[in-house]
Amino acid sequence: MKDVSLFIPCTVDLFLPRIGEATVSLLRRVGVNPIYHEEQTCCGQPAINAGYQKEARKVAKHFISVFGEDEIVVSPSGSCVCTVKYHYPELLADEPRWLSRAEELASRVYELSQYLVDVLKVEDVGASFNGKVTYHESCHILRGLGVSAQPKKLIGAAKGAQLIPLNGADSCCGFGGEFANNFPDISESMLKDKVENFLASGADVLLLCEPGCLLNIGGYLHRNHPGKRIMHLASFLAYNGRENDYGN
Amino acid sequence: MEIKTDQFTELAKKELKDERTRIFLKSMPPVLTEKREIGLASLPDIPAAMAYGAAIRAEAIARLPELLEEFEKNALANGAKVFWARDDKEANEFIKNLAIERGVKYVTKGKSMVTEEMALNELLSENGIEAWETDLGEFIAQQLHRPPFHIVGPAINVPVEEIRDIFMEKANMKEPTLDPVQLGLAARLFLRDKFHHVEMGITGVNVAVAETGTIINVENEGNIRFTKSSPRTQVSVMSLEKVVPTMKDALHLIRLLCRNCTGQRLSAYVSMDSGPKKKDEIDGPEELFIIIVDNGRSKIYQDLKARDALRCIRCAACLNICPVYRQVGGYAYGWAYSGPMGQVLNPLLLGLERTQELYRATTLCGACKSVCPVGIDHPSMFLYYRAKDVLEDPDLKGKKRPWIEEKFFKMWGRAAIRPWLWDLGVCMARPVINKDASHGIISKAKGPFEGWFRTRDLPAMTGNTFHERWKKIKKA
Repeated sequence: MKDVSLFIPCTVDLFLPRIGEATVSLLRRVGVNPIYHEEQTCCGQPAINAGYQKEARKVAKHFISVFGEDEIVVSPSGSCVCTVKYHYPELLADEPRWLSRAEELASRVYELSQYLVDVLKVEDVGASFNGKVTYHESCHILRGLGVSAQPKKLIGAAKGAQLIPLNGADSCCGFGGEFANNFPDISESMLKDKVENFLASGADVLLLCEPGCLLNIGGYLHRNHPGKRIMHLASFLAYNGRENDYGN
Repeated sequence: MEIKTDQFTELAKKELKDERTRIFLKSMPPVLTEKREIGLASLPDIPAAMAYGAAIRAEAIARLPELLEEFEKNALANGAKVFWARDDKEANEFIKNLAIERGVKYVTKGKSMVTEEMALNELLSENGIEAWETDLGEFIAQQLHRPPFHIVGPAINVPVEEIRDIFMEKANMKEPTLDPVQLGLAARLFLRDKFHHVEMGITGVNVAVAETGTIINVENEGNIRFTKSSPRTQVSVMSLEKVVPTMKDALHLIRLLCRNCTGQRLSAYVSMDSGPKKKDEIDGPEELFIIIVDNGRSKIYQDLKARDALRCIRCAACLNICPVYRQVGGYAYGWAYSGPMGQVLNPLLLGLERTQELYRATTLCGACKSVCPVGIDHPSMFLYYRAKDVLEDPDLKGKKRPWIEEKFFKMWGRAAIRPWLWDLGVCMARPVINKDASHGIISKAKGPFEGWFRTRDLPAMTGNTFHERWKKIKKA
């Protein structure tokens, strides 16, 4: 069995560990062997976003040392993949030896749905779900990685699942890390639009591939629309949409 | 115009509560984004056309000093007079003195962002020279004393009733009406009279062509052409980054500008001036002054990363698609330039210290970057400004971050490269974060994280992280 290195974002590790478990079970199901480096911590995205490049640079080097030898690295988060793929080479631009390692690693890091569909050429992972679902196009997945068709193919192949359109699917949900907390008025207004569109879609479940958006939209649904379900695509596929993703 | 870039949050809050702004923002920006897509669809290869636009602007910026000299040489050869203004004061002073020397009582103006940046109208009016904005939207905004809500449609949000009232009061409109055609006619009649007697016209410049010394304006109302052709004296003000090498480059930029701006293949009017009226010509201004305004740009130019901001051609595609602009509109940004292009430009023109919230009030969603026809990477610029704050960069006037934030990221950085310390940190943080958790959910928090919990819950930090679960998972 082929080894694949798991890159578990700290949000998943600390707040949504079941998404990590779902990722493992999904990968095993399609015949690859997930391995996990216990030395991994955080990719550094919060520091880069806050402008702390010196600290982020050190963390990037740690990440490269931990994952640098892996043939394939897979993560259930698009924004963390973007950090490694695009921001590491920028951060290390002045250190040629690290830069070449960062660039090499960048080409081997994949977001989960991208890995399944583009690399493994798998669409049907044997999932089934009796109901309507809709898909939120997270910014870093869609515009950062250009991934949009892949998750939809995986959903489309789940038996019984009916993928219905979501109005404004590609508009930001208002997360943006520290933005959600520091600009709550604007963030909430964006989030309400997103949730209204979800409610109006008539779908039973909102699916996405980004833990950050899940915390944001899920946090709002849990507070204001407790019956409404949101799920990471990995959990949806691994558990046939049965387990609720919000909480741990 | 009063600069309020340091009041972003308050101004945004006000707009978020304004019912009319809400209704307007729900409909108009998405319609403009859709129009853009339809406009672009008339190009045979959209990504190629955008890449070409980016390449033109990248080259123009890389060769800026040389191109400006070439432009000046050719403009002078065409008979234009060129004035280099180091800053807004020099530009304003020159134009004011020119108006006084020529003895003009008023000027007509074509829509121009750089003269908003310079606050030219205010200075002219302080010196007894009335400046009449002749773009319909700009005219309305001027009469209402409002800043621009949108860089292309400054009064796009003003309800028609308000336009009726202000036209009755200030534009000699005889009968009250809500008919847009009649309102337009009233403004035209009023302004036509101004055009008839105007002795000096002031416009901006969309593109300046180095190889021919030509300045180009695009517009839909014909008011810029009037402003350029009616008076004896024409003054065209350009910020110094407007220049491109060739006419071919300029034409491609116009193709992109019109499509990205209003979805048109070409605006109703495109006017090109290569010098004032020649001897054998029957009309046109007798003298043409081109004011090239620096106002901080050559300093921006010295910063290889920041200079990318100078590529902007003011199409406003980034405003229309921006999820934050779509919530708060243009007033919140507190100055002439709004939306993502304002968030990129204002910090450079005004300094980071005065614009703190502008480059933080973004989710880094990248919608702006995805539509930019000249290849500006807005999110990357925002991160650059934030990093300059952390370094307290003197050139960009970076502002020191709160000590608690600095301390946090230092500690975080130390732990994130030492797995044992990271694990220890997780164990220590857990009870603090979960202090108010109940049934695995946190619903409230005091202090720095209140913002999140106003309308959102958060799962409690797990007692059993993925990391801790791994040993079991591995064996399963």
